[in-house]
Amino acid sequence: MRTSSIQTILLTTALCALAGGQVVLGSSKARASFAPPAPPTDLVANDLPWDGGGTVQIDWAASATPADQLKGYEILAHELEVTPRDAAIETDEAADRAAAEETQSLLEGEGIAPEDARRQAALSTPEFVSPPEDVSEWSSLGIVPATQTDYQATGLNKAGVYLFKIRAIGLEGDFSAATASSGEIRPVAAFFNGRKLPLLITLILIASAVFVFIVLARRGMPMRIRKIAGLAAVDEAVGRATEMGRSILYINGIQDMDDLQTVAGVTVLGRVAKTAAEYDAKIEVPTSRSLVMTAAREAVQSSYFSAGRPDAYNPDLIYYVTDEQFGFVAYISGMMTREKPAACFYMGSFFAESLILAETGNSVGAIQIAGTANPSQLPFFVAACDYTLIGEEFFAASAYLSGQPDQLGSLKGQDVGKILVGIVIIIGVTLATLQAITGSDSLEAAVNYLVNVILGS
Amino acid sequence: MNDTPKINTDAINVILATDCGSTTTKAIMIEKVDGVYRQTWRGEAPTTVEEPFANVTVGVLNALTEIQEVSGRRLIDDAGEIIRPATATEGCDIYISTSSAGGGLQMMVAGVVREMTAASAKRAALGAGAIVMDTIAANDKRRPHEQIQRIRELRPDMVLVSGGTDGGDTKKVTEISEMIAPAKPRPRFGKSYELPIIFAGNDKARPEIERVFSDDGFDLKITDNLRPSLEQENLGPARDMIHDVFLEHVMAHAPGYDTLMSITDAPIMPTPGAVGDILQTIAKGRGINAVGVDIGGATTDVFSVFDGTFNRTVSANLGMSYSISNVCAEATMPTILRWVHLDMDEHELRNRVKNKMIRPTTIPQTMEALVFEQAVAREALRLAYIQHKAFATTLKGVQQQRTVGDTFTQESGGETIVDNMKLDLLVASGGVLSHAPRMHQTAMLLIDAFEPEGITELAKDSIFMMPHLGVLASVHPQAAMEVFERDCLVYLGTCVAAKGTGKEGKNCFSWSLDGGARGSGEIAFGQIEMIELGPEETAEIELRPARGFDVGAGPGKPVTKTIRGGTVGVILDGRGRALALPEERAECRAAVTRTIEAVGLYPDLEGSAV
Repeated sequence: MRTSSIQTILLTTALCALAGGQVVLGSSKARASFAPPAPPTDLVANDLPWDGGGTVQIDWAASATPADQLKGYEILAHELEVTPRDAAIETDEAADRAAAEETQSLLEGEGIAPEDARRQAALSTPEFVSPPEDVSEWSSLGIVPATQTDYQATGLNKAGVYLFKIRAIGLEGDFSAATASSGEIRPVAAFFNGRKLPLLITLILIASAVFVFIVLARRGMPMRIRKIAGLAAVDEAVGRATEMGRSILYINGIQDMDDLQTVAGVTVLGRVAKTAAEYDAKIEVPTSRSLVMTAAREAVQSSYFSAGRPDAYNPDLIYYVTDEQFGFVAYISGMMTREKPAACFYMGSFFAESLILAETGNSVGAIQIAGTANPSQLPFFVAACDYTLIGEEFFAASAYLSGQPDQLGSLKGQDVGKILVGIVIIIGVTLATLQAITGSDSLEAAVNYLVNVILGS
Repeated sequence: MNDTPKINTDAINVILATDCGSTTTKAIMIEKVDGVYRQTWRGEAPTTVEEPFANVTVGVLNALTEIQEVSGRRLIDDAGEIIRPATATEGCDIYISTSSAGGGLQMMVAGVVREMTAASAKRAALGAGAIVMDTIAANDKRRPHEQIQRIRELRPDMVLVSGGTDGGDTKKVTEISEMIAPAKPRPRFGKSYELPIIFAGNDKARPEIERVFSDDGFDLKITDNLRPSLEQENLGPARDMIHDVFLEHVMAHAPGYDTLMSITDAPIMPTPGAVGDILQTIAKGRGINAVGVDIGGATTDVFSVFDGTFNRTVSANLGMSYSISNVCAEATMPTILRWVHLDMDEHELRNRVKNKMIRPTTIPQTMEALVFEQAVAREALRLAYIQHKAFATTLKGVQQQRTVGDTFTQESGGETIVDNMKLDLLVASGGVLSHAPRMHQTAMLLIDAFEPEGITELAKDSIFMMPHLGVLASVHPQAAMEVFERDCLVYLGTCVAAKGTGKEGKNCFSWSLDGGARGSGEIAFGQIEMIELGPEETAEIELRPARGFDVGAGPGKPVTKTIRGGTVGVILDGRGRALALPEERAECRAAVTRTIEAVGLYPDLEGSAV
């Protein structure tokens, strides 16, 4: 028993010795490979200048540990919390006095309301709760490659105050000690956001183009606008009504005057009414909104005056029917079938009623001219009407019809903007295609710049 | 009298035809030779519609007498009558005539909307051979008192009133009639003459129109509506009515015309109307599109038939003598000068213009004068053709049928139907064209002024025979066709031109010829080349246009076609369309000189130009 006990002890000792030798050997290797990486140094965080706020630029010096032995750097941030003022007042009478004095000075000196003065005073002397010592309580903004020594922290609270730290991450996921925290940074919006520079340049270019073309137009430079068949056909449609001894029907859409399309429709109505006055044709304008009726009456009356036919103006032919979409359509369709107008104009914002109106007009043999910016209704108008003003043509109608230098110049200037947009689209598509084919990093950077900066602005 | 009499065409062997112009009465004799009708003899005599003769038949008989003398065939008997029917040695089977003496047929037209019924009325009047003095419409931008004043100033031979579709407007057309009736326009001939009013408007408005023109002094004729619906234009009945009224009223009151009407075997036609008829007959017979032009001293007539639709315009202020100043004013001197390759400045050009104006009957005596006159002619023809294109349009006010595919290409009504690419035959007549010293000059005048595209035959009316053949076509179309093809037209050749523009010296199209002429080559942009191909010869040409150029089948697409030769031959024109000459004077002169030398327009001047 005793012998066996001694043997057991010896065996155990030998095993332990053997094991202990291995442990010693093993622990010396682990120190070489699992030693925590050296922390990065020289952390500097600054609010990004010329931005819209919420972004901080962080720079640091690389860790002494070689980059190939690092997984990367983790960016840590902590938004400081403001110490509640009431608590400060309770604990610090001096601060209480200081805040009270500042509030008083704001109240007296600048006439600021008491609530605002208190809030402003609190903001002007903020006190923050100390950040936690344990970096695990800090927010991780992300991990960047070991070769990178800068980072832009985005999406931060513009009103918040932040502290930042960086720590290196070893290949096994072990962390270095974190750097000392950066100074307090408030990521405020700059007066001018540099990311919006392309937008500013574009704006200046278009505005300059508009200005230059207006000046040129005023000086008598001919401004050619391509023929808009729908507007050129106004005379034809009114002439048809005159020859056939029938009326002209004008529908100004079913929206109110707050809709731009309705406003554009009233502009075109002015022209149609003037031509009708010259030809002595009857024009009828049923509306689905009372305000549109009033505006239409004004436009038609003005047209009859300018045509030298004030006597022929009949306000009773411009009337309100109903706000109800299909009630209005039912009335118009019935009237078309009964009276068979020779020309129908649909100018404004239309929805489901577009095809009903256009088909009814077509069936009674009328020349029909439509104009709308609702893309979903355009196919119906194109198929059922003789002429259709498409989107922008409709809005350009005013310049086209009036022929005024200012409007024509403005239209030409806007064309310059469209050309610029077209050029950017062509460049973007070309670069993206080439990038997809070649896989070039520089092209990818250019595409990203276009997408994120030019288009993103 | 008015209807064309039934004539046994098989029995016709000898035809006499006259055209009584303002100054000259031209007579031709057509005979059946070897089973084919040919124009054999011609004669001319001064027109005798004015004092001291005041009888148009005197001039007619004088012209026929000249034919009688040169042909040795007795045509007029001792009583001064035309011998009919023909025998082996004397007489003719039928005698026909046209007339433009005394200013031709002058009309005023009216309609409700200027671009619709009024335009149709104008087309009907012009197509019937009239000169349209003015067009009154509800939207012609004139106040009623101005319209009335204008109506009173005019002295038309007749008035054509249209307006309203059938069952359509009655109010406006009645208003227009109510303006014409009290204005009482006075006719040109005779105090007792009742002014013919032709109403070709809304059938429901007829009672009102009859009431308005019920007063003395008007002879109201009612015919079918020119625009029964806006989708349809029905010019035939109105044109026929105009011809009837022309004979019954206008001709009957002109000196000697009553006698002339009694001796013709077919109704007398206004000269331009007859020209239009023969052009339509030819276009229909050959299934082609044709344009004819007649440039005179005061006016230029352009006729066109495209896809069976006939149009005629009279450019009243474009002519080579009385209207030459107006041509210069409209075209501007620098534009005319661009065709002059000689060292001629604007001042010299102005002197020549004024000289021509004060001596309208002179003809160029020097080569410089000829170059100048042909430069003016190019511009007169170009302007007249522009006016014609603007007038010959599709109908306005017509419902369009669309599909979603038309979203971005919405064609409107009133587009011109004149398409130079579809043009097959271009016929020239009128002094400056017919009497040019070289056929090459006539051909180049046509090419420069009309800018034909693709493959176009060029021809000229040899002795201004088209009016005679026009009236002949109404009684014997086969004879008219045969004479037109064999004797009337002098084929100048074929113009091959590519549509498009390019860089000077770059390839425009390549060509190869097989048949009457053989060869191949390339035409550079800006170059013009001439290939000889005789009048009776044909050849097959294969054209391969460069990218962006079109010779008839679309841009860059090749074309193979049989072409006809002529006295000039084949002109391969690589100057592009629209034809543009350099702005800078020296470059322009150099470009024109190259063209002149390539075609051999003025051989006597070659080398002395620039």
